Amino acid sequence: MILNKKIFFPSLFVFLGIIFSINIFAGESNLIVKETEQLTQPSIYMVLPFIILLLLIATGPLFYKNFWERHYPKISILLGTITLVYYLYFLKDFHSMQHIFIEYVSFIALLSSLFVASGGILIKVDKKSTPLANVLFLLFGAVIANIIGTTGASMLLIRPFIKMNKDRIKPYHIIFFIFLISNVGGALTPIGDPPLFIGFLRGVPFFWVIVNVWYIWLPTIALILLVFYFVDSNNKMNTDSSANIEYSGKIEIQGGKNFIYLVVVILAVFIDPNVMSWVPSLAPFPLGIREIIMFSIVYLSYKNAHPEILKSNEFDFEPIKEVAYLFIGIFLTMVPALQLIANFAQVKHELLDTTTFYWATGILSGVLDNTPTYLNFLSAAMGKFYLDVNIQSQVLEFVTKDDIFLRAISVSAVFFGAITYIGNGPNFMVKSISERGGIEMPSFFAYLFKYAIPILIPIYLVVWLVFFR
Amino acid sequence: MSTIDEILKKKQNGLYYRRRIILPFNGHLVKVIIEDNILTDFSPSSKHIYVKEDKGFMSIYFKEYKDLEEDITKYEAIKIVIVEDGKDMFNLKNHRKLALYLHGNHELKIESADDDMLFIE
Repeated sequence: MILNKKIFFPSLFVFLGIIFSINIFAGESNLIVKETEQLTQPSIYMVLPFIILLLLIATGPLFYKNFWERHYPKISILLGTITLVYYLYFLKDFHSMQHIFIEYVSFIALLSSLFVASGGILIKVDKKSTPLANVLFLLFGAVIANIIGTTGASMLLIRPFIKMNKDRIKPYHIIFFIFLISNVGGALTPIGDPPLFIGFLRGVPFFWVIVNVWYIWLPTIALILLVFYFVDSNNKMNTDSSANIEYSGKIEIQGGKNFIYLVVVILAVFIDPNVMSWVPSLAPFPLGIREIIMFSIVYLSYKNAHPEILKSNEFDFEPIKEVAYLFIGIFLTMVPALQLIANFAQVKHELLDTTTFYWATGILSGVLDNTPTYLNFLSAAMGKFYLDVNIQSQVLEFVTKDDIFLRAISVSAVFFGAITYIGNGPNFMVKSISERGGIEMPSFFAYLFKYAIPILIPIYLVVWLVFFR
Repeated sequence: MSTIDEILKKKQNGLYYRRRIILPFNGHLVKVIIEDNILTDFSPSSKHIYVKEDKGFMSIYFKEYKDLEEDITKYEAIKIVIVEDGKDMFNLKNHRKLALYLHGNHELKIESADDDMLFIE
């Protein structure tokens, strides 16, 4: 982007880290949170910074691109700071801000480590692009998204996918890639998408997801691939010129050692005091052992990457910086919205049924971060049975009691991340890499109204009618 | 005046000064990709880019940038699609894809964009 951010972002990160690790407001806020939990509910007006940020993200690149590109980091941080000051100074609620900052650090640690490690891998696919080959590629990506996460799979596969289609690439190729590999594909394991991982940390058994979701995942993937096949079959661009080119069908991988880094990142995901009791908690320091490992991978994989591969991948930290800047604002400003939703869900939980859980979790996951949305609706669903999401044994009891709510929340939190560019972390990064490759991607609204709603909503409607109605 | 092929063969560099790059040949730009900005409007009213042709070289000014060095990192290329002066614009085989790297000390490294690079015209 058009701004020198070399020093600013690390400084901000360190500054917030110091604030939260020295816990300067904790003494007072502990008492307040314990004694008057209801009083810490934010004002409805504090949802405004979040709404403003979402509107700016949606309209900035479209109507005032120059201004937005120059100033979005400042705007995002400014709006986030309004929420931060409100919570720390007016609500005296240190914990909500500390908690969201820790979640943000984990989010960025995972995304950046997968981004940098996969940036050192070059996959060359010398294969003719056909609708069937693309379908198989996207299916493969959707499956491995469950092993290396939607972020890892997106970063690893977007370049070879574009290169394979270079003679007939259109924005819809990238959009279906976002639908399938960056989102829906990762619904089968807790590694696939962050909300499912949070569920796993809270006590949902690791294999519960695949056992209970595969039969929803499979037809959804099949339907999206069917639509893709139909659209791609009608793309006759450059079919004549590519007919004369000979393809070896070979897949060549350079920088394979970076797969080791990817494996370390994936294993590090489990290094959490909630999963492994021997893992020390470094609280109140905002980094855990997991995040330290992940940030070390960022350093090591970049330092040891082959320069020619980085050059071929045009490696640049900008896409991850863009995510880091926008999401610090999103994470902070969404706290009041999430707390109000959680409060409503807990008070009015008798009004909530499977349909409400499916659509509300889904629609909110499309515009908010899907991880806290998942957690809040899980909390509300458990509230129906007077169970507490903070107690692992009760989560397990909830899963065995009636898991249709959990199924609805899990599926929609992951699936609906594909509805907007901001629904899931990798969406933005895939968009940015594609634009750097010369593909003109649709605007926020064009993505939403021209692709996501017409293609995904009918499919999600079918999912709801068949499985959750 | 050298042709693009000669420039590439001799590994001759261009130059850059803050927001301006100077290429040691003349041609018609078709597309420029700088970071995630895709530029195809090279009219004088463009807010993003200004192209100036001189005898034997051409200058491209990136109006939104103060100093390219601040934003374009060492593995990142400014990518251009260009048709050399005198060549048929309508023959796609004449559309040359070049990758330009800021090499430091005002030197702009000019390379032919290879197949490994993600570069869609």
